[in-house]
Amino acid sequence: MDMNEIKDIFFQECEEQLAELESGLLRINDGDTDPETVNAVFRAVHSIKGGAGAFGLDDLVAFAHVFETTLDCVRSNKLQTSSELLKVMLKSADVLADLTAASRDGGSIDKSRTSVLVKELDAFAKGTPLPASAPEPVKQEAPAEPAPQATDDSGFQPVPFSFDGFEDEAEAAELPDEAIAGRSVFTVRFKPRSDLYAKGNEAVLLLRDLARLGDLQVRCDIDTLPPIDQLDPEGAYFSWLIRVETDKDEEAVRHVFEFAEWDCLIEITPGSDDEAFSAPTAAGEDQPMAPVPFDLSMLEEEPVVPAETAAAVVVPIAAARPAAVAAVEEAPLAPPSLPRAEKALAAEAEKKESAVAAVPAAPQTIRVDLDRVDRLINLVGELVINQAMLAQSVVENETGGSSAINLGLEELQQLTREIQDSVMAIRAQPVKPVFQRMGRIVREIADMTGKNVRLVTEGENTEVDKTVIDKLAEPLTHMIRNAVDHGLETPEKRAALGKNPEGILRLTAKHRSGRIVIEIADDGAGINRERVRSKAIENGLIAADSNLSDEEIDNLIFHPGFSTAEKLSDISGRGVGMDVVKRSIQQLGGRISITSKPGKGSIFTMSLPLTLAVLDGMVVTVANQTLVVPLTAIVETLQPEKQDIHAFGPTQRLIAIRDTFCPLVDVGHILNFRPDLANPIDGVALLVESEGGGQRALMVDAIQGQRQVVIKSLEANYTNVPGIAAATILGDGRVALILDVDAVVTASRGHALSSEMTLSATG
Amino acid sequence: MSSTDVAPKVLKLPEVLDLNAASRLHEQVLAHKGEDIDIDATDVTRVGAQCVQVLLAAALSWRAEDQSLRVNQASDAFIKTLQLLGISDEALLPKEMLK
Repeated sequence: MDMNEIKDIFFQECEEQLAELESGLLRINDGDTDPETVNAVFRAVHSIKGGAGAFGLDDLVAFAHVFETTLDCVRSNKLQTSSELLKVMLKSADVLADLTAASRDGGSIDKSRTSVLVKELDAFAKGTPLPASAPEPVKQEAPAEPAPQATDDSGFQPVPFSFDGFEDEAEAAELPDEAIAGRSVFTVRFKPRSDLYAKGNEAVLLLRDLARLGDLQVRCDIDTLPPIDQLDPEGAYFSWLIRVETDKDEEAVRHVFEFAEWDCLIEITPGSDDEAFSAPTAAGEDQPMAPVPFDLSMLEEEPVVPAETAAAVVVPIAAARPAAVAAVEEAPLAPPSLPRAEKALAAEAEKKESAVAAVPAAPQTIRVDLDRVDRLINLVGELVINQAMLAQSVVENETGGSSAINLGLEELQQLTREIQDSVMAIRAQPVKPVFQRMGRIVREIADMTGKNVRLVTEGENTEVDKTVIDKLAEPLTHMIRNAVDHGLETPEKRAALGKNPEGILRLTAKHRSGRIVIEIADDGAGINRERVRSKAIENGLIAADSNLSDEEIDNLIFHPGFSTAEKLSDISGRGVGMDVVKRSIQQLGGRISITSKPGKGSIFTMSLPLTLAVLDGMVVTVANQTLVVPLTAIVETLQPEKQDIHAFGPTQRLIAIRDTFCPLVDVGHILNFRPDLANPIDGVALLVESEGGGQRALMVDAIQGQRQVVIKSLEANYTNVPGIAAATILGDGRVALILDVDAVVTASRGHALSSEMTLSATG
Repeated sequence: MSSTDVAPKVLKLPEVLDLNAASRLHEQVLAHKGEDIDIDATDVTRVGAQCVQVLLAAALSWRAEDQSLRVNQASDAFIKTLQLLGISDEALLPKEMLK
C-alpha cells in the first residue's frame, strides 16, 4: 500500500469524521447534553488532526487544533455551550471540511474566513467573548492550555512513523536526575489495548515520551500474560503503573498519551501511589494494579463503543456504525498496519475478554470499490435477462411435459430475483450524507439572507440506490436554497406575524410503495399565488384571463424560465429555476409536487425510484416495434372511443377524457416509425403526465404487459437517441427501447419531430 | 525430553522487533518448544512491547516446564527498553544484566 492510497483512505475517513462531527454538533444544538456526544465531536476533530499531522497537512492541523482546543474546553465543562458557540462551531466544521477538501483536491480556501473563525474559537476558549489575538491561524497559540502547547507541536509528529531513531530516544530515557524543588508527582496507570499496537502506536515510545518529562518509576504488570502457546503475539497483555516525577503539569503528562488515549485505559492521578511501589515487585504475587484495568468507569471511556451506542440512540433505525469501520477510521495514524486494525479487532472479539465482551457485536463491513459493485450489478442484469430468455425458449420448445425442467426454471427464476435484490441492496445507501450536506447549505444561505433557519431532518437512514443518491444532491440543494431564500420570511417579519423568528425547514425521507419520497417543508409564507399569477401573465406563460386552480398556479413555478424573486439573488437566481429541478428529478424517473398554504408554508414532495438499474415498465407495441414506457410516467390507460377523438387543426388531435381535452400524441409517428397518423380507435392511449404539469395521451398500438426491465444505457453502448431514454433486453432476446416520455411530449408540442430527432437519422 | 547435556540452541534476534515482528518471533519461539534456548539479543536496536510480551511469556512458560529460555547476550537498546518497560522478572533476563 503506497502513501497515496493511505492518504486516500485518510480522506475517505475524514468524510466520515466530518459527518460525525456535524451530526454531533447538530445534536448538541438540539439540546443533547450527553457528554459522549461532545466526546464524539471532539474525537472526530482529533482524528482528523492526527491523520493530517501524519501527512504534514499543516493548515488542516493548525485549524483542527484550535477547534479541538475549544471543544476540549466544552468537554471539560470549562465552557458552556451556547447558541453563539454552536454557530461558530458549525461554521468551523464547514471550514474544516473545506480545508480537508482543499488538502485533498488542491485549491485554496478563504483564508479570511478561517482566521475570523480561529479568532472566535480562540475567544471562546479563553472565555472572552471578543476576539483579541493575531489572526494568523498557523501560529495560533491555544491559550486555554498554555503548558501542553509547548509539547504540542511534537505531538503532531506522526507518532506511528517514529520508530526510527531508537537509540537517541533510548538515551532520552535516562534523563539527568535533577532534584528541582516544586516538582510534582503523578501516578499513571496505563493499560494499552491491542488496538493501540494495531494502529502503530507503541507502549515503549509512550513510556519514553513520559520519561522525557522527568523521572520515572515503572512497574509492569504481567499477570495477564498467558502461556506462550495461548498468547496472541499481537495482543496487549502488559499494563503499567508509573510514577512520574516532573516539573510539568498534569496536562503535559496527559498529552503524552494524546494519540493513544482511545486505545488504552489511562488514568493519571496526582500524587504517588507509594503503596503500589513498595509492594513486592516479583510477578505472580498480589496485584497492586488489579483495580485499574477493570474499573468500570474507565470502560465507559472506551471510544468506539459509546460512539456507536450514541448514534444508535439518536437514530434508532441506523445500523450502528460498524466497529470495523470505526477501527479502520483511525488507521491513517498507522498506515502500515491497516489490515491489522481489523485483524486485531476480530481477535479481540473472539477473545471476548474484558471490556470488549460487553460490546454488542457490531456488524462487520468492508470497503469495496464501487466499480466492482457496478460490474456485479451489470452481470446480474445479464443473468436476469438470460434467465428470462431461457424460460421463454423452454416454453417455445414445448417441453412443458417435463415438470423437472419447469420446476428447475421456477427455482432459477426465484434465485435470480433474490440475487438481484441482494445485489441491489449492496448499493443501497442511506440518504444521510446528502441530508447532512444540506445542513451546511442551509447555514450558508441563512447567513447570506440574514434569516434564522433550523434544519430538521427525518428518516436520514432511508436507503436508496447510490446512483440515485448521487443525483439527488443537486435538485435538493436547489430546492433547499429556494425554500430558505423565497419560502421563509426574515426574522423581523416572522416576529411581526407572531411566528417564531427561527424558521423551520424540514427534510424528510421515507419509503412509500417501492419508491423513496423526500419532502422539503418550510413554515414560511407559502406561495404568493397572486404574485405567481401576475408574473406568469407578465412572462406570457398564461393568458391574463385564464382561470387557474390554486394547484395549477403553484405548479407554474416549475415552468421553464419562471422566477418570482424580485431581484435575482446570489442564491437562487442563477438562471436555474424550479423547472430544472423538476427536469432532473424526472430524469431520475421521479415526480415532484407541491402543496402550499398561505402563511403556513410549502411542502415540496419528490418521489423517486429506489434504483436506476431496473425499471417498472409497460411493454407496448408501436408499428411492430416493442417499446417500454416507464410505469411512473403513466397515469392511466384507456381505449379511445370514436366520439372522444376530436381534430384540432390540420395535424393535432385531442381526446376527451372526463370533461377535459388532452392532446393525443401518436408515438409511432413522432418516432418516425410510420409516416401517417394511426387511427386512434385501433390503439390504446396511455395518459402520461408531462413536464409542464399538463397531461398527454400517448397513442400506442397495443399493450403487451407490464414487467420489470433491466436498464441498459444507450449512451454507453451506442449513442444518445432523441426520444429514447435507454434500452433493455426482453425475454426473447430482442432489444426494446425505453421511451423518453418527456422528450416525446416536448417534440409533440413542436407539432412534429425535426428530422434530426428521428431514429433513422441517428441510426 | 530435556536435553541438559546438549548445549542450548541459540536464537538470534533480528535488529528490529517491532509489532510486525511479533508474530514471526512467536512462531520461532514456539518451534523450539521443549528445548533450552539461549537468546542472543546483541543485534537488537529496537524492540516493541509486543515482542517483549512474546519473549517474557516464552521465558515464563519455559520455566514452568523446567526448561530454560533466557537472554544471555543483549544490546544496550534491548536492555534499556526492558528497563523502561519495568520488566524486572528474572525469567527472561538475569538480574545482573538489568542492573
